[in-house]
Amino acid sequence: MVLGNYKTCVAARSTDKEILKGAQDGGIVTQLFAYALEEGIIDGAIVAGPSDEPWKPEPIVATTKAELLAARGTKYNLSPNMSLLKEATRSYGLDRIGIVGTPCQMQAVRKAQLYPIGMRDVPDKVALAIGIFCMENFPYQSIEALVEDHCNVKMESVTKMDIGKGKFWAYTERGAVAQIPLKVTHKYEQPGCHVCLDYVSNLADVSTGSVGTPDGWSTVFVRTKIGDDVWSKASAAGCFETKEIESGKTGLELVTKLATDKITKNQKTLEGRATFGVGKGLRNPYL
Amino acid sequence: MSKVVEISPTTRHEGHSKLVLKVNDEGIVERGDWLSITPVRGVEKLAIGKTMHQVPKIASRVCGICPIAHTLAATEAMEASIGCEVPEDAMLLRYILQCANRLHSHALHNILSLPDMYLPGTDTKINPFSPEEPVRSVGLRIQRLREIAQTIGEIVGGEAIHPSNPRVGGMYTNISPLAKQKVYDLAKEGRVLAHEHSEFMIAVFRNFQKRDWAEVAGRQIPIPGDLGYHNQGYMAAAPIYGSSSMDENPTWFPERWTEVRPWDWYMGEEEITLEDKDYPVGGTTPAGEKTWPQMQACTGVPLYDGQPVEVGPRARLVQFRNYDEKGAMGLQIARQMEYEGCLYGIMEACDALDCSGKVLADEIPQGDGSLGWAANEAPRGCDVHLAKVKDGKVRWFSMLVPTTWNFPTCSRALTGAPWELAEVIVRAYDPCVSCATHMLVVDEDKRIVAQKLLE
Repeated sequence: MVLGNYKTCVAARSTDKEILKGAQDGGIVTQLFAYALEEGIIDGAIVAGPSDEPWKPEPIVATTKAELLAARGTKYNLSPNMSLLKEATRSYGLDRIGIVGTPCQMQAVRKAQLYPIGMRDVPDKVALAIGIFCMENFPYQSIEALVEDHCNVKMESVTKMDIGKGKFWAYTERGAVAQIPLKVTHKYEQPGCHVCLDYVSNLADVSTGSVGTPDGWSTVFVRTKIGDDVWSKASAAGCFETKEIESGKTGLELVTKLATDKITKNQKTLEGRATFGVGKGLRNPYL
Repeated sequence: MSKVVEISPTTRHEGHSKLVLKVNDEGIVERGDWLSITPVRGVEKLAIGKTMHQVPKIASRVCGICPIAHTLAATEAMEASIGCEVPEDAMLLRYILQCANRLHSHALHNILSLPDMYLPGTDTKINPFSPEEPVRSVGLRIQRLREIAQTIGEIVGGEAIHPSNPRVGGMYTNISPLAKQKVYDLAKEGRVLAHEHSEFMIAVFRNFQKRDWAEVAGRQIPIPGDLGYHNQGYMAAAPIYGSSSMDENPTWFPERWTEVRPWDWYMGEEEITLEDKDYPVGGTTPAGEKTWPQMQACTGVPLYDGQPVEVGPRARLVQFRNYDEKGAMGLQIARQMEYEGCLYGIMEACDALDCSGKVLADEIPQGDGSLGWAANEAPRGCDVHLAKVKDGKVRWFSMLVPTTWNFPTCSRALTGAPWELAEVIVRAYDPCVSCATHMLVVDEDKRIVAQKLLE
């Protein structure tokens, strides 16, 4: 069950050229939110928008397609999207909220819905939660060090960052591509990520990521009734081009392998922490 | 020969209070003492030494029914002390909050006062939780009105209870155009409901005025025509919002305010000589027990021009709308007359609000210790907070809350009424006792005596 419960799993990409242009892979999150906004399924979406510093995301409440487009692409560092969840129901005046986030953020959304302490009138307003695949995340200073010091590229010049094929990639405006092996990046990871046992956002309505599909496509798990409803309506409306996901080594098998790897690796951290110190191990957050 | 009866605790209002009544042979109150016995919150002492930003948040915690009034009064008292001008859009947001708070509070109070009332044309008392019509739809309407008000409070204030958005210097955030539209739509829906509802409620109270008797403890108690009449004055700072020492023409005057200790105001020790086991709920205090109002009251007695005054809906209407109806039902009716004003207030403020306008003052001075006060017209009346802020820290803080003003006034209004109807009079004031308690008087042996701490 490393991939969680899901109704369907497909390879997909947006049919909107504009979305695809700046998207990380298949533009699934942007396209799905854009469709949901247009159809009134959501009033707005909490996404990782641009900030004053290059590649530092800032959570924003996007209520137009233009704002969604500005937030396209993966930024590989922390975007505290949950921090806007309550505010979205308050001064933003949303009744139906879309939220995108990493697996841990999806856990937070569900926890907030289940135990709404300090979250009065929030639980019933989460209309669509989209999760992304996540192996680990980086603080902003880490990604700065990786790009500026290891890749030797100025942050401002980077047009896209990517992790794939065992490497961290930084594409620049003038076509130069810098790459470093992933093992270099490990020490820069956020330590908190090493206790996470979720790779594919098991608790989201729809989860998506690049692993398992060719370049320019995304793997999509449709997990819940809400997710299925939105996904099938959006597909029927022609928002997505879909194809069957490969079952072979580059397809679902790879997703399963990476998910298993993450869980096995982080399980060790958890076990290590349980006996950390003298007679005062740290609690396993999953128990 | 007069007898003493004690109703403790009184029910169907916020907080914990009791009535000690001296009655004549006919059961008519000759002297009534209504006093707070809620444990002291101690907010005023907690506030000392805290930053001016913390204190309004702490003051808000004194009660969950009008936290908005306390937040706004305390925030504006700080602003008045440091001399900080608040941007207009921030004031509009506060105005919306103020109206929302009054709306939800008045609707809540209807639930508390309806069980004393009769369905017009019948001898059936109203149970607001009854599944039967017409009461059912009234109950639902009350809940919807409260929901509308709380949602508006939540959008503008950040939280329905204990608003997080107001701050010294303005507000933390403005609201989005979408949120403004939502507030406006809710107010529009509420306006229609409030109109229907206030008409219904006024009809119910008028019906009670016309009745000859009300049933209490299985007996038919005659209702006097002057139920709850008093000859005290009224005090109100504004029809809706309030006033502060920053105003060009302030409408509240600290120099007219004095305070008397409960020891000098309430009755001395008395033995209870009248008892009624059937009085709801659970009967009155058994005969033979002792009661000592001057020792047990935990509020100061504030006076305005040396007299107790009434604050609240009627005080506002008397001062600003030429309202002149006296008595308990006059007060109840005044409250219903305020319903629609809240919703029009919200809509007007929405019209004037610029969603991209600045809501925080450019400069927030740290204060030089001068006295600032803000009188906020809370649902139950004028809520005055006084503060002295120096170097960003609160050096002195005092809350003069509505029900504190009403305690001695209402006590006088009890005279001449049958003691069984005393609670009906008390409830007309929509008492909110917990915030009214701000004084604990103890001696060296920690016994409660009249020793003023509030200075």
